[in-house]
Amino acid sequence: MLDGIKAIAKGMGTTFKALGEPRDTYPYPEKRREYSPRFRGKHMLAKDEEGHELCVGCGLCEAVCPAHAIRVVAAEAPGDKPVSWTNRYSVDYEVDLIRCIFCGMCEEACPTNAVRLTPFNELAAYDRETMIADKDELLRPAIRK
Amino acid sequence: MIRLTIDGQEISVPEGMMIADAAARLGIEVPVYCYHEALGPLGACRMCLVQVEKMPKLATACTTAVAEGMVVHTQGAAVDKGRKGVLEFLLINHPLDCPVCDKGGECFLQDYTFRYGPPAGRFEEPKIQKVKDGPINEFVLIDQERCVLCQRCVRFMEEYVGEPQLLLEGRGVETVVSTVEHRPAQSQFAGNVVDLCPVGALLATPYHHKARPWNIERQESVCPLCPVGCTTLNTGRDGRIVRVEGRPVLDRNWGWLCDRGRFGFDFAVSPDRLTVSRLQGHDEAAARATRQVGQWLEQVVGQYGPDSVAFVIGGLHTSEEAHQLYRFATEVVGTSRLAMSRQVQGYLPRGLNGTFEDIAAADAVVLVGTDPYEAVPVVHLKLRERWRQQRDLKLFGVAPRTLGRETLPVDTLITHVGHEAHVLAQALARVVPDHPAVAQLAIQGDSGFDDAATLAQLGQALVNSEHLTLLWDGVEPEVESVLIALATVRGAKVTRVLPTWGPSNWRGLERGGFPARLEALTQILKDARDGKVQMLVLWGADLLREYPDAQLVQEVYQTVPYIIGEGLFLPLGSESMRAFLPEASPGEMAGTYINMEARVQTLTPSVQPPGQARPTRSYLNAWAHSLKKSFVAEDDWDPFDDESGDLLPVEAIPATIAPLSPVSQPSGEMELATGVLVMENGIPSELLRSRKPQALARLSPVDAQRLGLSAQGMVRVARNGEELRVAVTVDQAMTPGRIYIPLGVPSCPVNKIGTGVVEVARLEEVHSA
Repeated sequence: MLDGIKAIAKGMGTTFKALGEPRDTYPYPEKRREYSPRFRGKHMLAKDEEGHELCVGCGLCEAVCPAHAIRVVAAEAPGDKPVSWTNRYSVDYEVDLIRCIFCGMCEEACPTNAVRLTPFNELAAYDRETMIADKDELLRPAIRK
Repeated sequence: MIRLTIDGQEISVPEGMMIADAAARLGIEVPVYCYHEALGPLGACRMCLVQVEKMPKLATACTTAVAEGMVVHTQGAAVDKGRKGVLEFLLINHPLDCPVCDKGGECFLQDYTFRYGPPAGRFEEPKIQKVKDGPINEFVLIDQERCVLCQRCVRFMEEYVGEPQLLLEGRGVETVVSTVEHRPAQSQFAGNVVDLCPVGALLATPYHHKARPWNIERQESVCPLCPVGCTTLNTGRDGRIVRVEGRPVLDRNWGWLCDRGRFGFDFAVSPDRLTVSRLQGHDEAAARATRQVGQWLEQVVGQYGPDSVAFVIGGLHTSEEAHQLYRFATEVVGTSRLAMSRQVQGYLPRGLNGTFEDIAAADAVVLVGTDPYEAVPVVHLKLRERWRQQRDLKLFGVAPRTLGRETLPVDTLITHVGHEAHVLAQALARVVPDHPAVAQLAIQGDSGFDDAATLAQLGQALVNSEHLTLLWDGVEPEVESVLIALATVRGAKVTRVLPTWGPSNWRGLERGGFPARLEALTQILKDARDGKVQMLVLWGADLLREYPDAQLVQEVYQTVPYIIGEGLFLPLGSESMRAFLPEASPGEMAGTYINMEARVQTLTPSVQPPGQARPTRSYLNAWAHSLKKSFVAEDDWDPFDDESGDLLPVEAIPATIAPLSPVSQPSGEMELATGVLVMENGIPSELLRSRKPQALARLSPVDAQRLGLSAQGMVRVARNGEELRVAVTVDQAMTPGRIYIPLGVPSCPVNKIGTGVVEVARLEEVHSA
């Protein structure tokens, strides 16, 4: 009988102690965890200071991708509208985020530092089509709230 | 033979061979940029340094000939140090733009640097900036920064092709490859420099920034655009062929291509290509169109018997397709009316057919009617290679127009149109007048060619040369009997003929079972006009463009109730066709092509047929079903022969020599001459549009002046009530009294008029406001 009361008191003690402590969980989505800047989430295609796309469409990310999640189609950059810093650019760039294993090899292979993995990890959609990120989407990286 | 040791392995090679080639025979790779076996040694790049015992310094493997007892090391500390040094120098001004370079991934500079090069350069000064992506012509771009100055391109154009349109400009580090006077290099062989360039300096414009080596697939195939059948590597990406490269075959060819073959691959995606079945002039679903044709076939065979159906094959079909159609026609339909439509009327018996080795071994070459530069461009290179080796090579031409050019001088005997056979026979008769074979030719009449000395020279070359090779364009059919007589007269001495006409695979269509002679087709057309044919199946054949008597074809098109067409492009007169079915092109299916050497070569598909386009067997299987007959199109038929390998089995030369018909000097002012022009062979290409001749017809300056034409103009060419309106240009090489129009151009079907005397009148140009 006394043992029982002692055990309950100990348990309640732990509970009341924990009540005052900071919480391990977050009330997602109202509040979000801070990640390391090295976290590998969704991809982005970077631009330089003048707004030119860094990607030259070399296809090395496509070649190195172990999951075959990337598709690059290169083309001659349009002369009248300077989108690229060189005369070659990627006219099409797609990442299949379902296939992607977020290993970061594309980021490592990129000779122009155009592909970067952002900390954005809120990848959810109602269908598979939406999970294929096209070039427009990658050029405007999503920001975690 | 010379014995030497390379890396501890002994080898015997012929005298005069370079160390690099000897090493290659042992499977030892010596890195090299400037050296190419076809171009000979130069020693410009210094990449091939090897160590030869008893030599004080490293030697260049590409310029050092082998010597008895030589001991060569291609590995080792000294060689590695030498290569590292060379590469470090080559990379001093080389830009670091591999990610944007099309060559990246298949570049010898990358590969050798990776394998032999230093990890980093020590040169810290800024790199020299030069022209990037400047055009050499409309198909080739040059990036002068990437160039390692191996000079392969310059030497190929200058020495091998003989059209020196590229040169080295500047001194020292400022040296660049450029074009003469900065004008476009317009040679039709300029595309080869893309294959020759070991780095990314010369790139093909149509492939620029298209793909990288790891996301394409290359298939070994054959160019289908002319009867040479050059071996190619086709690059397919995303369902399209995006590039064609030459494919060297050891001891047979160097892998050269002409620009027609290299950049003409886009015919398969041409906007003119038909990819939908047509029924009664409307687009129709493939299954419905095929079924409807099958029903018609069943009706015709049931009502009029199997011989009321005729099959005429032509176009770009493979040998296998021809054989499948032959089996369908004979086994399932049961008809005996089979024929082939070709560009020309002449026929060459297999027994006389030579190979390209006969060009490489020839001591006399006679061009009968054909200009290889225009009809079969790569054969021109082969002839030139032979001519460069043996400058006393006798080169004669017998044609109504001048055949030679500066890079390959030909002694042309200019005949009247249609008199080639007669002049050849005259030359023969001058040397061996009493030979029974010459007597059988029954030479009669006056060809108007009476230059005794030239005839005797040609006759001597024809009869007495040890190895005689002829190229024949097939326009004048009677040449066949002169060729047989010639072979009979020469007896044991080698006499070989190369036919330069199309379709490219006519030998393969013949091997498949279709008779190649014109008589078979003429018989079918005459029977069709007389109402004996109810259904005419034109399998790739474009009769209004190819058959010599367009009048007869028109009548047939109006008489025969069921005309079924099949092909890549709508032929002339397609409005008379009940149905037209789209065909799969050679890059879209497997099969074999047999070239002008009678050599069997394999096609490998790179892409799928677009739209409703199908290979022949799909249609045949469906129709056999309609006829309620069992038929399997695929069988074990193989065009390869057990004994002769990739050449067709050799046949005896025919013994009968048909007499020549008597000739007389034409009475008219102008004669129409024709010939094959590969740039205008009826297969469209958007890429090559700029290379098409602006004006098809050619006239001599004398005639142009007489007609009141300036450099260009329009003329009306008429004969027997038929006329053509054609743009004409003045050509210094044309003989007065001749007008030349190439064969088989859809916009100007010269067969409508036929060769011979024509009326030519100038047309006033009408400029629309």
